[in-house]
Amino acid sequence: MILEKEMKLSEVILHDYNLVPIINRFGIQLGFGDSTIESVCKNKDIDLDFFMTILNSFHDPQYMDKEYLRSFPVELLINYLKETHKYYLSDKIPEIEVIIDDMVVEARDDKGPYQLLQKFFKDYVYELKKHIDREEALVYPYVIKLSSSLKTASIPDSVISMVKEYSITLYEKEHDDVEEKLNDLKNIIIKYLPTVKDQKNRFLLLKELSALENDLADHARIEDLILIPKVEILEKKALLG
Amino acid sequence: MSSTKKIIVITNSFLLAAGVESLALEIRGLLVDEVFSGSEKKLCEKVLLKKPDLIIIDPVSLGEHLIPTLRTLREEPETLIAGLVSESMKENVKSKFSHQLVKDAPKYQLIEELQSIIGKYIPEENSKTLSKREVEILKNVVLGLSNKDVADKLFLSVHTVMTHRKKIARKLGIKTVSGLTVYALMNKIVDMREVERRT
Repeated sequence: MILEKEMKLSEVILHDYNLVPIINRFGIQLGFGDSTIESVCKNKDIDLDFFMTILNSFHDPQYMDKEYLRSFPVELLINYLKETHKYYLSDKIPEIEVIIDDMVVEARDDKGPYQLLQKFFKDYVYELKKHIDREEALVYPYVIKLSSSLKTASIPDSVISMVKEYSITLYEKEHDDVEEKLNDLKNIIIKYLPTVKDQKNRFLLLKELSALENDLADHARIEDLILIPKVEILEKKALLG
Repeated sequence: MSSTKKIIVITNSFLLAAGVESLALEIRGLLVDEVFSGSEKKLCEKVLLKKPDLIIIDPVSLGEHLIPTLRTLREEPETLIAGLVSESMKENVKSKFSHQLVKDAPKYQLIEELQSIIGKYIPEENSKTLSKREVEILKNVVLGLSNKDVADKLFLSVHTVMTHRKKIARKLGIKTVSGLTVYALMNKIVDMREVERRT
C-alpha cells in the first residue's frame, strides 16, 4: 500500500508497526490522536515530501519515488541517516546486548556457547561502528561541503578539485562482512545453540536481530537509491560551474 | 545454507517481477530473493553478491547493456541464467539465452520450464554433517591459516581448499571466519586456548 499524506498517522502505524522507530527518528512521539501525516509534519516542522519518501521506502522496499528526489535538500537526508546511526548504536545494539547478557546469566552450567555469542556480537558491533564512523567522518562532510558551496555565487576551486578527486561514485560501499555476520549469527542461534527449555530470550533475540537487519537494509537502500544519485547531480552541477 | 534455491530477477517491470515471484511460489524450495531494475548501478556486482542459484533476466530492461551484463554474470559458472523471452522477440536476443521462460506461455508450461532449469528439489538432509576433510579444513581456517597455508599443510591445491570452504559455508549456513569460529568452538572442533593463540 502506498502511504499518502492525507492518511491518518495512527492508521498508518496500526497498519505497519515497524514504522514506529522511523517516526521516532523524526521526533514524533505516539499520542498524535487522529491527525493526518500532513498536519503532524506541519506541527513538528518536518519536511513532508522527505518524510513521505522515507516512510514509504521503509514500508515497501519496492517503493522508491524518483519524483521526490529533487524536492528536498541533501542536508535533510544526511541528518536522517545520522539519526538512524544513533538509533542503532544507542538504542538497538544495547537492547540486543542486554538480551545476550541475560542468556549468559540464565545458562547455569554451560555458559560457553553464550559467551561465544556475546563475543561474536561484540566483534560485530565493533565492525558496524567502524563502518558508521567512516561515513560520518568522510562521506557526509564531503556531501555537506559540496552542497553548501553550490549555494554560493562562485564555487571555490578547492571544492571542484575535491569533486574531481573524490566523487561519490568512488564511495564504494565497502562490502565488509557486516551483513554476513548478522546472518551467520541468526544461523548459529537457530541451528547450533544447545537446545533449552526456556526459549523466550532466544526468540526475542532472533526477532530483534531480524528487525535490525531490515532496518540496516533500508538504510543501505536509501544511501544507494537516494543519496548517491542526488550527490551525483550536485557533482555534475559543481563541475559545470 | 538450506536447500532453498534463490532467484534474482532483473526487470524494470513490476508486473513481470510479481509474475515471476508468484511462479516461483508454485515450486517447492524456490524463492525470489530480490528484484533489481536493469538500470541499477553496479548491477552485476550486487546480483553476484547475493549468490543466486538462478538469475532471470528480462532483456528489455537491459537494452544495449544486455551483452556485457551477460558476459559478467557468466563469470560465475555455478549460477544459472534464464531469459524472459516472448514469441515476438528478435531471434538475436532470444538466442543469447540457453535457458528461456516464455512470457506468453500458460502457467503449467512455465512451471515445467522453470523446474527443468532449476532441477528437482532434493533436500540435503543427509549431507549436512561435515566430512572429515572439511572438519580438518575448518579447524585450520578458524586457527587463522590462509587458504594457501591450509593447502600447503594438507598437501592440497588452493583451489581444492576453496572448494571445500564453499561447501562448508553452504552446509553450515555460516560464511564469516568469526561465525565459523563460534561453530567450531561450540562443537569442540577447536578449543578456546588454541583460538586465542592464533595470530
